[in-house]
Amino acid sequence: MTDISSPPRSGSLGTWLRDPNPTSPLQARLHQSWRMWRKLRRNGSALLGLAILLVIALAALFAPLLATHDIFAQDLGNRLALPSGEHWFGTDELGRDIYSRLLYGARITLYIAGLTAVISAPIGLLVGAVSGYFGGWVDTVMMRVTEIFLAFPSLVLALAFVSALGPGINNAIIAISLTAWPPIARLARAETLIIRRSDYISAVRLQGASALRIIARHVVPMCLPSVIARVTLNMASIILSAAGLGFLGLGAQPPSPEWGAMLSSARQFILSNGFVAAAPGMAILLTSIAFNLVGDGLRDVLDPRHD
Amino acid sequence: MKRNLRLLSSAALATALAVPAVNAETPANALVMAWNIDSISTFDPAQVGEVVTNELLQNTCEELVARVPSDEAEVRPAFAESWDVAEDGKTITFHLKSGAVFPSGNPVTAQDTMWSLKRVISLGYGNAAQLTDYGFTEENMDERITAPDDTTLVLKFGDVYPTSLLMQAIAANRVAGTLDSKLIMEHEQDGDLGNAYLKDKTACYGPYSLAQWNQGQSVVLEANETYAGEKPKLGRVFIRHVAETGTQRLMVENGDVDIARDLTPDDLRELEAKDGVYVTSALKPQLIFWTFNAADEIFDDPKVRRAMKYLIDYDALGDTVMQYLGTPWQSFAQSGALGALPKEEATPFSLDLDKAKALLTEAGYPDGFEATIYVGSLPWSAPLGQHVQQNAAKIGVTFNIEQMANAQFFAKVRGRDFQTGIKAWQTGVPDAHGNASRLVFNPDNSDEAKATQFPSWRASFYDETMNELVTAAAVETDVEKRKEMYAELQKDWMDNGEMAVMFQTYFVAAARDTLKDWTWNGFQVYYGMASK
Amino acid sequence: MADTGTMTKSLSATGRGRTIVLPRLVGGLKTLGSVLVTLLGLAALTFMIGRMLPIDPVLAVLGDNATQDAYDAMAAKMGLDQPLLVQFADYLWNILHFDFGNSLLSGRPVADEIARVFPATMELATLAMIIGTGIGVPLGVVAAVYRNSPIDHVARIVSLLGYSAPNFWLGLMGLVVFYSVLGIVGGPGRIDMIYEFDLQPVTGFFLIDSALAGKWDVFGNVLSHLILPALILALSALAYVSRMTRTFMIDQLEQEYVIAARAKGIGRWRIVWTHVFRNVAVQVITVVTLSYAFLLEGAVLTETVFAWPGFGRYMTNSLLSGDMNSVVGCTLVIGVIFVVLNLFCDILYRVIDPRTR
Repeated sequence: MTDISSPPRSGSLGTWLRDPNPTSPLQARLHQSWRMWRKLRRNGSALLGLAILLVIALAALFAPLLATHDIFAQDLGNRLALPSGEHWFGTDELGRDIYSRLLYGARITLYIAGLTAVISAPIGLLVGAVSGYFGGWVDTVMMRVTEIFLAFPSLVLALAFVSALGPGINNAIIAISLTAWPPIARLARAETLIIRRSDYISAVRLQGASALRIIARHVVPMCLPSVIARVTLNMASIILSAAGLGFLGLGAQPPSPEWGAMLSSARQFILSNGFVAAAPGMAILLTSIAFNLVGDGLRDVLDPRHD
Repeated sequence: MKRNLRLLSSAALATALAVPAVNAETPANALVMAWNIDSISTFDPAQVGEVVTNELLQNTCEELVARVPSDEAEVRPAFAESWDVAEDGKTITFHLKSGAVFPSGNPVTAQDTMWSLKRVISLGYGNAAQLTDYGFTEENMDERITAPDDTTLVLKFGDVYPTSLLMQAIAANRVAGTLDSKLIMEHEQDGDLGNAYLKDKTACYGPYSLAQWNQGQSVVLEANETYAGEKPKLGRVFIRHVAETGTQRLMVENGDVDIARDLTPDDLRELEAKDGVYVTSALKPQLIFWTFNAADEIFDDPKVRRAMKYLIDYDALGDTVMQYLGTPWQSFAQSGALGALPKEEATPFSLDLDKAKALLTEAGYPDGFEATIYVGSLPWSAPLGQHVQQNAAKIGVTFNIEQMANAQFFAKVRGRDFQTGIKAWQTGVPDAHGNASRLVFNPDNSDEAKATQFPSWRASFYDETMNELVTAAAVETDVEKRKEMYAELQKDWMDNGEMAVMFQTYFVAAARDTLKDWTWNGFQVYYGMASK
Repeated sequence: MADTGTMTKSLSATGRGRTIVLPRLVGGLKTLGSVLVTLLGLAALTFMIGRMLPIDPVLAVLGDNATQDAYDAMAAKMGLDQPLLVQFADYLWNILHFDFGNSLLSGRPVADEIARVFPATMELATLAMIIGTGIGVPLGVVAAVYRNSPIDHVARIVSLLGYSAPNFWLGLMGLVVFYSVLGIVGGPGRIDMIYEFDLQPVTGFFLIDSALAGKWDVFGNVLSHLILPALILALSALAYVSRMTRTFMIDQLEQEYVIAARAKGIGRWRIVWTHVFRNVAVQVITVVTLSYAFLLEGAVLTETVFAWPGFGRYMTNSLLSGDMNSVVGCTLVIGVIFVVLNLFCDILYRVIDPRTR
């Protein structure tokens, strides 16, 4: 038996990962991820984005250690202060430390972006896959609904929803998710239409697999990469939507240091003290740019056409 | 480091703004204003209930009497050239200007004034209270409001009220403007007495009339040729709707408007230091308060409500967040009103966490409690809420803030569906009775009474003794005695009332030096006196 | 035999005729049906949302001081005391007659109000779209051709900034620099106050109105007010358009025909513009149309900063005052925009794209 590739030595994770003949589904999947990571590593801007996101995530995680002040402590005598050794990014309209608030705000912003993605992606994926797979009247009905949600002014939908359920972060997340799923559904449907026609799916169908099983086990995994890339690109607009709700007093409630809320309360000081708005503004800008860079990179990596 | 940065940034700003901009001149014969006028929804004097349109009506519909610009508590003749009070004190006879003409060409008569007053009662909008509070009803109005000839108007009252109060509450109010009854009735729809017609028109006798109104865009007033009183110095008033305060600042800096009406304290502070622009203000009869719902288990106890008043740093807020916008005030009778306490006595509370803690312990909450503060969407709402929230946290009381659109917030408060809320309230008279009759007096505390226009009812606050005192003071004709009664009432109410009054607010604006004689007080803005 | 032959022939001819006409007719009806269903769904959804909202339109109109009697009378006048189903039926019936009802806030017909605010936004959106497409498409093409070169990175950063920067901040800063300091653009609002009476609105598009009237000074003034907000909106449209153009172009540039053409010695840019871009044109137009639709929704914050009496501000304001009649009207308008632009793209696909023929 002349095996070209040597059998995996126990203990060498790298070799096991690189093994072109996976012995288990887990190994196959990990193997694929490994190859993607290698591709992503060559993409400079995606790595930059990833690095920024990592820094933000670490800042959020270690906020209690990194913060220099109590984020709720007010000091009316030292409000709207410019950056200094004491307050690195200055203070806000009630004299609170902006730097510390930004750190804690990162937690909320990442929470909003993450949870919105977790809610909207499955909904979009499911609607798109089912609609594309079954076609016919199922497709017509579902796409009509999607179209209605797409054509519905997103701010109105979000505003209405939040005002009905009451303001608060979790309701804002649900509201943003409601407006975020239709584009994903359309994308998933388009992908499904292509996948459905493939020989591979016909073969599975001939084996007698149920539609539900085919969608769950074969169609959804195939759509996943492009959906993930798309969702990452959407993160920027999710963060901005949350900020938009903050402007209308419908997102996070005071004294929460959510970035959008910070930005909106800083709006009236833009001309008299630009720093108050600049800090959360830059944070939002940086995060959305980072997500966009990563999303771009992921799209290149995951899209089989670029192989 | 800090100093350097500040220097650097101010230097940068100075160079930036020192470059002469191409200043657009405003027209010489027009008053140009930047103002948030989103709230305008109608020009019907019977229906208007907010400050923006009220101000416009003051300049388009001449009332029977006008407030003296320098002293709002005094009135001077306007459409009524003189008036006399009958010996029994229950009848006032107004002698009106003769030969006046409406913009339409119709002659102005006392019948028009009578019709306008009765119309307010018949339509029954919020403003009807200006008349029904003093005993007028739809049933008795034909007998009590009469016009024996073209220049005489007679008002008969069931009780003897202080004349100064009646002049302020009725004769100087927008309900006493004279509408063009003939023209309006030609356009009546389904018995609405011209309510629909007056949505976007002013068919009134007054210095200006409305030339154009585009919702959320602009208002244009033009001087009335037929107006017989003092002619406005500026023939046109342009009001551009600008919601963004920063944009308003840039416009007045640039000279694109003569005056900007909604500026933030921080922008005002910087504008005041600039050449070519001045800041002007007038104390308004508006109070900002934190109201507590006595129907709530926690806030039913006056001690808890009193404790909350020690959680507010009135002076520090007044110097920062509320600078230019308001001055600390804690009584229901606003400064400048007849019967108001002097400042020291009207501001007995100050930040004192120990006292607050002690009061809460007495009330049975040694470990604090948890409750909600509703706030609206005005610029000061959230900062004030967060201020008390933070101070409360120091004595173990947890407040959660919920911010919402104003219309939603008002609905909650009117429905008694709140624990606490930070709100504003404005009265129409420079007399303690104005607010005593709304913030203290509660006609009927039952839910069924739906006395929603009474903030006292909204907060389920009912006090028999205070009710009696309010009623008695309103009909007391001896001024000194009346003042004493209000002093007693205010002290009792500040200790036990349903709200913590925080500030009395200012009208404040930044104007170009070219705009002269901008004249206003807390109750009236006189466009006609402004000149260039 | 011959007879049947001709019979078959003529049959097949009519048959062919049917295969062409009938599907088109059915397709047309289907499209029309789906448009109607979408609009009906939109109307129902908005109506439901409107009734769910806790914002009280009666208070928005009457103010905080109103008595309960006045409140009840106004609620009845607005028809809010009727059962929900009755309200919905009334509302649908009116819409079918193109009657969107009166704004609860201003009391004027919603259709009139929208006719006033929509041109303001459309004028802005159209100029923004022209600028955004004019710069965005070439930028995307160049970025794709020089993929991963410095040009590509600069294009990416510019578009990401345009995409991620808060518009209200850009707007205020733009006003400070170009209006306050440099004084080279008109200020907030659509037109200087002194001209406001000079212009008789015919179309509602001030540029067109002033040009029609031959008042070129007014035209210049309108343009000077329009240019800054249009540039700021163009920036976000530009971002999206250039990114998408780049993606489409990269896909095409990797196709074999490009390599073949290059091998034949055809110039690089000639291939790019005559062959490659032609093939992605439809996709690009779809993207442009979609972002135009989003711009037509109106950017609330940009409109607020520039005191622009536009559609976005009107809708948000109506929503926050609980003026559901206006909100519903606005929603339907946006729905129609989306549907119409979608249809336009579909037709374009058939007309331009050789592959779908």
